[in-house]
Amino acid sequence: MSKMSPRAGLSRRSLLAGSASLLAAPMIGSAAHADAKPVNIGVIMPLSGANAQFGINSRNGIELVADEINAAGGVKALGGAKINLIVADSTSTPTTAGTVAQRLISQNEVTGILGAFASSLTIAISEVTERRDIPLLTMSFADQITGRGFKNIFQVVAKASVLGKAQLDYTLAIAQAAGAKIDKIAIMYEDTAYGTAQANGLRAAAKAANVEIAMDDAYPLGITDTTPLINKLRASGAQAVFPVSYLNDSLLIIRTMRQQRITMPAIGGAAGYVIPDFEKGLGEFAEGVLSIAPANYDLAPDLTERFRKRFGYFMVHEALEHAVALDVLVQAIEKAKSAKAEDVAAALRGAKFTGGWTKAMTGGAVQFDATGLNVLSVPVMVQWRNKELVTVWPKDVAKGTAEWKT
Amino acid sequence: MKKWFALAAVIAVAAVVPLLLNPTGYWIRVLTFTLLFAAMAQAWNLIGGLANQTSLGHAAFFGIGAYTSTILLLKFGISPWLGMFAAGALGGLAALVIAIPTLRLQGHYFALATLAFGEVMRVIANVWTPLTGGPGGLSVPFTPPSFAAYSFKQLLPHAYIALAALIIVTAIFEFIRRGAMGYRLRAIRENQAAAEVIGIDTTKVKLQTAVISGALMAMLGTLYAQVAVFFDPDTVFSAAAISIRVALIAILGGVGTAAGPILGALFIIPVEELMNDLFSAGAAGLSQLIFGAILIAVILWRPRGFITLWDSLRARFARGEARR
Repeated sequence: MSKMSPRAGLSRRSLLAGSASLLAAPMIGSAAHADAKPVNIGVIMPLSGANAQFGINSRNGIELVADEINAAGGVKALGGAKINLIVADSTSTPTTAGTVAQRLISQNEVTGILGAFASSLTIAISEVTERRDIPLLTMSFADQITGRGFKNIFQVVAKASVLGKAQLDYTLAIAQAAGAKIDKIAIMYEDTAYGTAQANGLRAAAKAANVEIAMDDAYPLGITDTTPLINKLRASGAQAVFPVSYLNDSLLIIRTMRQQRITMPAIGGAAGYVIPDFEKGLGEFAEGVLSIAPANYDLAPDLTERFRKRFGYFMVHEALEHAVALDVLVQAIEKAKSAKAEDVAAALRGAKFTGGWTKAMTGGAVQFDATGLNVLSVPVMVQWRNKELVTVWPKDVAKGTAEWKT
Repeated sequence: MKKWFALAAVIAVAAVVPLLLNPTGYWIRVLTFTLLFAAMAQAWNLIGGLANQTSLGHAAFFGIGAYTSTILLLKFGISPWLGMFAAGALGGLAALVIAIPTLRLQGHYFALATLAFGEVMRVIANVWTPLTGGPGGLSVPFTPPSFAAYSFKQLLPHAYIALAALIIVTAIFEFIRRGAMGYRLRAIRENQAAAEVIGIDTTKVKLQTAVISGALMAMLGTLYAQVAVFFDPDTVFSAAAISIRVALIAILGGVGTAAGPILGALFIIPVEELMNDLFSAGAAGLSQLIFGAILIAVILWRPRGFITLWDSLRARFARGEARR
């Protein structure tokens, strides 16, 4: 300690030092502004394995928004703190996804996590984040995600069962608008969590609408020959087919159908049917194929064209929804004025978010209910037209009229 | 005597390590999985090492174990501690059923038949939705922490349970290897026809080994389910992530030796994690590519496993002694 006696009182030197520090105080403040502690946000995606392309698309969408936020001055409520993305590969194994989440939480002290496209990976991550009170924002579809009473999970899109129902209901409406009536359909889906959940929605909707299901077949992910499926489809007498699958099988199914000159409308279940590789893999066969989607880029071109400009392809829905998820997370950090995970989760719960990327979602905003589901999100029907996806239903948001050929 | 002392020292060190790690952190999770995979590879080592039957279908027993205890817990509220023994019984039964037709097969044919069995189990778990939850998988419910209910908020108890499991499975392995059964298995491995001539019931011995191996693997499946908390058919019946990985761990460490699977797991699991940590922010898939390259390099360097490293070190040491 100093040897100065406490009685020394105000010396000239200490007075000088005091006033100097007073003068300097605002400078220190602004210095702290410039290098405010960055906010770590975890991004867990399948960057290898069968779903790698979807993981990369998602990462691109997130990076776009993070860079935009940082360029615009970072998180204002935290003195301009920059968003620091910690990207990690979940591979395609749920256990690895959980381990990666544990790593991001304990080593990188993330404020929140975004991920992980495939429902099984997201569920595994949520088991870790829930126990550690870290908010997890996802665009995975499975109903289980918000169906388990978890408090720290936020699903920005409609659930698989809702998507499945819309896939059928919208199709019936489109057919009716074109003067056709459907009373016999075929369903084929891959036996993954996503495929089966969405098929359940389709089935329930068909029953409610009194439509006969002439074919209802599950097949394994990674199927290499769809000819038997298509032969069965031809014999079934269905008027429309609803395939639910990721990319490779979607290409096989549509190609085999068209090569066999089966021209019945095909209404895909998002995933593989709404990415540029679908059109690249099929060429002219892609034209006119319909698909349900949780969101589409043509509803907010002013936002999504920025993605196309940077990455060279249209903003696929998983990129768009992850962009929205990051925007919402940052809005919640602004609202909480804190980068502490618990505060941010509390700011997310039951709240409504508007502006920014939320405008790109149907409903024009994001609002989470008590389970963490975005109640404003409504699926859309899109159609391949000249290498682009055009929203054709519901009517109030449609950018074009569906072409319906039977 | 000296050997026992060294063994006690190794176990003591292993018992202290978990205490040094953050009990809710990342490395304790990696350690837990490392110990579990070491135990799984040791269970595989019974049939793959001692009986020299390369099984590529051990995920079948593993998955049966994970599903058995979790279904018993979800549907009847039975503690996974009890569920683990039901899992072991079912796993042993499954091993018996699959072993009777396949153990007559040799080499590659046996490997292929077991690989197919694992896939069959995966398909069954996928389609038997009312029981298994189908492709959506099963979540182990989060109940208030209690030892009797096998539910903990932290990972530390899981790490010790995994360590205990590894010690028990390794002890069983050593007991069998040193006992009469070990001699019979070695005789079969060297020359099956000769073993039969000297009066060994080769089929019976191999069956016994297969059943013990399958039962242990299933019990470890229960432990895994309790740590991972969520699993689906693709996770626990995975050929690549379970069947091939446990075989790889044992082979990389040194097949047929007690230390082999432990060395293999201590290398493979942390290195895989480290690669993911270091490289997964870079180009997509890079971490897996680098991990694969490391595996190839290691196998080229030590084709007979890490255990040979010890032998050559000892040989060099002995030479040095002799020279002196």
